[in-house]
Amino acid sequence: MPSEIDRSKGSKTESEKGKIFQRLCSAIGSENVSIQEVDKVAYSRDYWPITFRWLLEGKIFTLPDFVCWPTSTKEVSDIVKIACEEKIPITPFGEGSGVLGGAIPIDGGIIVDLKRMNKISEINDQNLTVTAQAGINLTNLETELNRKQYTMGHFPQSFHCSSLGGNLSTRAAGEFSTKYGKIDDMVISLEAVLPQGEIIKSKNTPKSSTGPAVERLLLGGEGTLGIITEATLKIWPRPEKTVLKSYSFENVQDGLDVIRNILRKGLFPAVIRLYDALETERQFSQFSQARNKCMLILLMQGSEELVELEQKVTENLCKEHAIDCGEEPAHHWLEIRFNVKEAADFAPKDVIFDTIEVSVTWDKSMNLYNSMISAMKKINGVFYASAHASHFYPQGVCFYFTFAGVPIKTKPEDFYRKVWDVAMKATLDAGGSISHHHGIGIMRASWLSAELGQSMEALKKIKHALDPENIMNPGKMGL
Amino acid sequence: MEKIRKNTWLVKLIAKANLSTKNQLVKSFLSSEKKYLPKNKLEANAKNVLKCALCPNMCRFDCPVLKAEKSEALSPSGKTRVAHLLEIDKLDYSRDTVNVFYDDVDCDACKQWCPFGFSVGELSVGVKRDIANKGLAPKALLAVKEKILEQHTVYPERITSLNINQKKKKSDLLYFAGCTTLNKRKEIAAATTKIFETAGVDFTVLQEEWCCGYPLHVLGFQKEFQTFADHNLKSIKEIGCKTIVCSCPSCAYMLKKIYPKGKYEVKHTSQFFWELIKNNKLSLKEVDGEFVFHDPCALSRKLEVYEEPRQILRSIPKITIKEAYSNKKNTQCCGRGGGLGIANPRLSLQLAKNRVSQLKEISNSVVTACPSCELALKEADETIEMLDLSEIILAALNNEGQRAR
Repeated sequence: MPSEIDRSKGSKTESEKGKIFQRLCSAIGSENVSIQEVDKVAYSRDYWPITFRWLLEGKIFTLPDFVCWPTSTKEVSDIVKIACEEKIPITPFGEGSGVLGGAIPIDGGIIVDLKRMNKISEINDQNLTVTAQAGINLTNLETELNRKQYTMGHFPQSFHCSSLGGNLSTRAAGEFSTKYGKIDDMVISLEAVLPQGEIIKSKNTPKSSTGPAVERLLLGGEGTLGIITEATLKIWPRPEKTVLKSYSFENVQDGLDVIRNILRKGLFPAVIRLYDALETERQFSQFSQARNKCMLILLMQGSEELVELEQKVTENLCKEHAIDCGEEPAHHWLEIRFNVKEAADFAPKDVIFDTIEVSVTWDKSMNLYNSMISAMKKINGVFYASAHASHFYPQGVCFYFTFAGVPIKTKPEDFYRKVWDVAMKATLDAGGSISHHHGIGIMRASWLSAELGQSMEALKKIKHALDPENIMNPGKMGL
Repeated sequence: MEKIRKNTWLVKLIAKANLSTKNQLVKSFLSSEKKYLPKNKLEANAKNVLKCALCPNMCRFDCPVLKAEKSEALSPSGKTRVAHLLEIDKLDYSRDTVNVFYDDVDCDACKQWCPFGFSVGELSVGVKRDIANKGLAPKALLAVKEKILEQHTVYPERITSLNINQKKKKSDLLYFAGCTTLNKRKEIAAATTKIFETAGVDFTVLQEEWCCGYPLHVLGFQKEFQTFADHNLKSIKEIGCKTIVCSCPSCAYMLKKIYPKGKYEVKHTSQFFWELIKNNKLSLKEVDGEFVFHDPCALSRKLEVYEEPRQILRSIPKITIKEAYSNKKNTQCCGRGGGLGIANPRLSLQLAKNRVSQLKEISNSVVTACPSCELALKEADETIEMLDLSEIILAALNNEGQRAR
């Protein structure tokens, strides 16, 4: 068992568990509570790569005691109140695609699966907003919006397999974020259940000046400060036009410079992705103009005039420094962007791999890129370390690193931890932020203090004030 | 070649790695996987089950069972994770661990989104065979199996022949109506044979047409399925036909893809009817009405037939055909696939209700091309009007104007 989850389980006796089960059943109906073994096993993990090892070896560590599927915010509140009184932990669960262990019930207790709360209550054309419950799947939400000629513009790689609530709780980002923003940029208002069962709901207004936005504590809270149950989010009319382009650059620096200048012009192509030479070879080997170069993928969408302008300006800026590779590589990217095969292909072969996304301002960007790659490569056994930059701002960039390696004379878990440790240290040394959009969970928990400094102490005080019994997703984010 | 090109980067990297990394990599690639796979020989494809189990569940949004139940254990990768743990003896075969594999519609929605092209329904068939071989299949299903063995169909009406053309032993074309049509929707067989006659098609039927074996196959009763396949294959051989036409897409799927390959073509009625229309063998007159077409998943996904039904409908003058949002290969299951109607009628009905509500958004009159889909959707909502393609064609032949029945 990895050290991070080596914790003493909640010490409830069988008769106490029996009582809690009865209470949960009468609160939300017995059809919405399970103590079946198969359900406990199904909710014992998320998509943290350490759990691939568990699955391969058939180890089942972190069984919850109860799985609950509330159907309303009131029912979520009722469960939280029971948990509070019984002093039993709660782990909120969306669709379990998180890659840092945030949804693993490490102390057992109650899993609160939000999936039966998946209604869209309003699509407001005049305000351009959608209001939906947190358990809705992102693809199913976007499909309903598309049917009515809107888009949310939020397409993370987990688009098919993650819930709205999970995305909000980790402050996720989609591939089209350069235009549409991260999900926290899309939030207009939230409804949530706090750790003692209180229900809060913020107002649907575009902006306000009414003190700190309390509900926004829940964004990125990963369920440690409460459970988001509903959100109102910005939507857009479905784009009139979409244009795809690609260019290849000599090196990462040249590509970044051009992208920075595109953003300085006040243009925000929906998708900007710049791959280093190694990733270009891995993803775009069939395109000869990109051989030994760095591929840039652009996708511009919106109203026709705007897209034409974006196309013209980006073309002018790119052509001096890059080879025009046409539309094909961008189509290729669109086609394969949801193919997640690495775990299935490599994990059974004992190859350890993961991705690490960090953000940094422009002035420190090349330094961070270089120092991360070289830090990861220094670990004995790492044979692959690469990156692409995929979310851009006028002020900086998110790098998405991938590493792969084989543990040599060390346990897979220790090897994995070692690569992460050097990567986190390199990020902090270079002045970057340790996560751009995956969140903290278990894996990054020990690094959050170094990231936040004194703010971590403030966060702990807030946590204690809201959740004095520490029942909400304990053991995550260092809280 | 394509595979080599795609992996050049990996070969180059490995070449550049230091000696200890290289050695470890070679060792890992050669020997690791075996460690994690079951030691005993199983019916389940353990390697593919594990691959599916290691996916973040990328197809989950489109799984009709998960949409209805919202439970991780019933999600596509949730099932294969349980399967892997069962196979490597880390989880006990108990009522609840076994049951997840029977809450399945084998609709292949997942297959469309899988980079490996896996169908969790198909992967589960192997798992269910292992469960059955261990004698652990749910008791209720064992009882159903016995009934099928006794009746030669799942239906208590026990009808196993159309009782027409009985004396005709040889024909180029065999009409395999299927036991749902024979027992529950004779009108489809009547319309189909009438269309054959109108077009001057010579055909015959089996004297003893047993169930194609789909329920036995999909529920993991392999040995019993084989008995049914053998019976039907022997009778088919005696007919010596060049083409078999099926009213039920599941029968067509079984005869075409699961039975051993024969010296004949297998077609669904929609394919055969379209050929007749294309070759001017049927003269279709006006049908006045507005319909939505429901794509049966065995037809649109397993057999990849979704244009022919539309071409047929478009060739009928005056008719209005509307599309459901989830259509063609993106259709949504009626709830009766995978033997779910037998294994879990409550869940099956819920799936049917979900599909009916999608169809009713478009039209209250539904045309489809599968008798099982029809029964499922009609059970979910008695107020919808359901017609088989054959009945619409018959109405167009007779120029009944409004409706076929």
